[in-house]
Amino acid sequence: VLSFVCRVFLVRWSRYNPYYLEPEVSKEAYSRPATELSAEEKEQRELKTLRPIKAATSGVSSSVFDDPVISKFINMMMEHGNKVLAREIMTQTLENIKKKQVEKYHKASEGEREAIECNPYTIFHQALENCKPVVGLASIQKGGKYYQVPIPLTDNRRRFLAMKWIITECRDNKHRRTHMYEKLSQELLVAFGKEGNVMKKKYELHKMAEANRAYAHYRWW
Amino acid sequence: MAASCVRTVGSFLGKCMTCSSTINTVATQVLLSRQVCVSSALCRKNLAAAGPEKFTLEYIQKQVEEYEIGKRHLANMMGEDPENFTQEDIDRSITYLFPSGLFEKTARPLMKHPDEIFPKQRAVQWGADGRPFHFLFYTGKQSYYSLMHDLYGKILKIEKHQDHLRAKGLFSQDAQLISLGPSRWLTKEELELLLVETISTHDYDRFIKLMEHMLVMPYSSTEEEFVQRYRRLLEAQSLKQLVPLLEKDENGMAFSTAEGRRKTSDSSVILRDCGSGHITVNGQDYLQYFPVLQDREQLMFPLQFMGVLGRFNLECKVSGGGRSSQAGALRLAISRALLSFLSEGDGEAMRQAGLLTPDPRVRERKKPGQEGARRKFTWKKR
Repeated sequence: VLSFVCRVFLVRWSRYNPYYLEPEVSKEAYSRPATELSAEEKEQRELKTLRPIKAATSGVSSSVFDDPVISKFINMMMEHGNKVLAREIMTQTLENIKKKQVEKYHKASEGEREAIECNPYTIFHQALENCKPVVGLASIQKGGKYYQVPIPLTDNRRRFLAMKWIITECRDNKHRRTHMYEKLSQELLVAFGKEGNVMKKKYELHKMAEANRAYAHYRWW
Repeated sequence: MAASCVRTVGSFLGKCMTCSSTINTVATQVLLSRQVCVSSALCRKNLAAAGPEKFTLEYIQKQVEEYEIGKRHLANMMGEDPENFTQEDIDRSITYLFPSGLFEKTARPLMKHPDEIFPKQRAVQWGADGRPFHFLFYTGKQSYYSLMHDLYGKILKIEKHQDHLRAKGLFSQDAQLISLGPSRWLTKEELELLLVETISTHDYDRFIKLMEHMLVMPYSSTEEEFVQRYRRLLEAQSLKQLVPLLEKDENGMAFSTAEGRRKTSDSSVILRDCGSGHITVNGQDYLQYFPVLQDREQLMFPLQFMGVLGRFNLECKVSGGGRSSQAGALRLAISRALLSFLSEGDGEAMRQAGLLTPDPRVRERKKPGQEGARRKFTWKKR
């Protein structure tokens, strides 16, 4: 039964009417024939034919080189709207990671060569995944005092925290004469190996959450 | 203030006159005959409390007759047939006879049937003896409550039918559900128009909930006609897209032209169906005009999405705005021009990818009392 459902996330001050839906940019979503889809997906498709769709932003495209996670990271690194510079840093970082890994690959013996990952995109994704915290802390007021209560985090929030920690760590805790791409590549490679300051920060957050486990029932949502 | 006091004293004494007529008649007469000055504030009627203006049935009938006669006069004036004078003809004639330069379309002179101009009002709800016709009159919202009453009656009927079938052993869970096409419920405003009375959002939500409850019940298809009365059809969005014309130049090569806008940039693109993939922007090569990779990606986006990268020649003209908005304007123009070379399914895929919607985001103005559009001045405690 197709019913008229309002968009739940009404964005304040969006230039778009909340009736508009988000665009789907990847080509694969449109090449699937109708037989493969489940009932929900069929309903989604029907809804899309009836509703107007927002315009795609200027950061996304359907090219194979376009990665939404990398685009989000570039936007988070960007300062004062300087997207050109942020993108340049990102490409240099990925190039640097590739160089280091290929160097390591050539120096390693035959048995170790398979274990070395050379694709900078997989390294980036794996490092980000390693840095994502599982639980977060929220400051909840009860009886006049503020307690740090462990709460579950949404996927977006976890990704945001991981990226934010990596960027702040690179900006603050490194030697000031090194380039940003150099700092980032070091940090990402280290996070890929599950070491480094960002991992330490994540483990500390987990420990705090475990310590405050007793207050978990203060959460009401 | 003193004047109003005088007035109230006078009226108070007037009431006293009825109970004790003989006390100080001379004095009260002198008081009552004194000129009562009343401020205009008292005489002014409370216009808001009266509610919307009420028109009698005879008045509206008179308006309808005048409209019909006026329509015939207008047809005679324009030299057309009075019998077959439609509303479009009326609108055309009015715009011709009374040209208006006003921007607000609703402020221009119009001539429409009185039913469209005067809001629908209900006839008198009670008879000569003062007794109301409808049994739910004293609820205040008789149409709404009678609708809910009918709806609940229908639900009970469906449940009774289900019980009958269960007793016979013929009941099945998924039988005879109402199938609605792509449609939506009536909005609150439309429902108010239908019922000719105002309802609150709470009432409206209850109505929708009850309808949804009825839709989910098996064997509800008997009430389909009743439900369809409260549904409006949704038409497919892709029908609203304007496809540019596919023209042919002297050499027989197919080409199409389209325009696009983004922020303050305007662009126009001529898409030629040759075998090569040359792109020229304002006379320059696109590699020279857009040194940044992101802008070139945006240019290629519609072509790459459809998989026609090397097929078309692009001749682009763009002006205004910055580099990103020029790229966005070009992308929209290319997508529109590409529509004439593609099938409807491909066009729909492009629309769902967000390539055919003009981006409405523009620079937000700076407001007075703030430093920018959103940024406030630094708050200083003292």
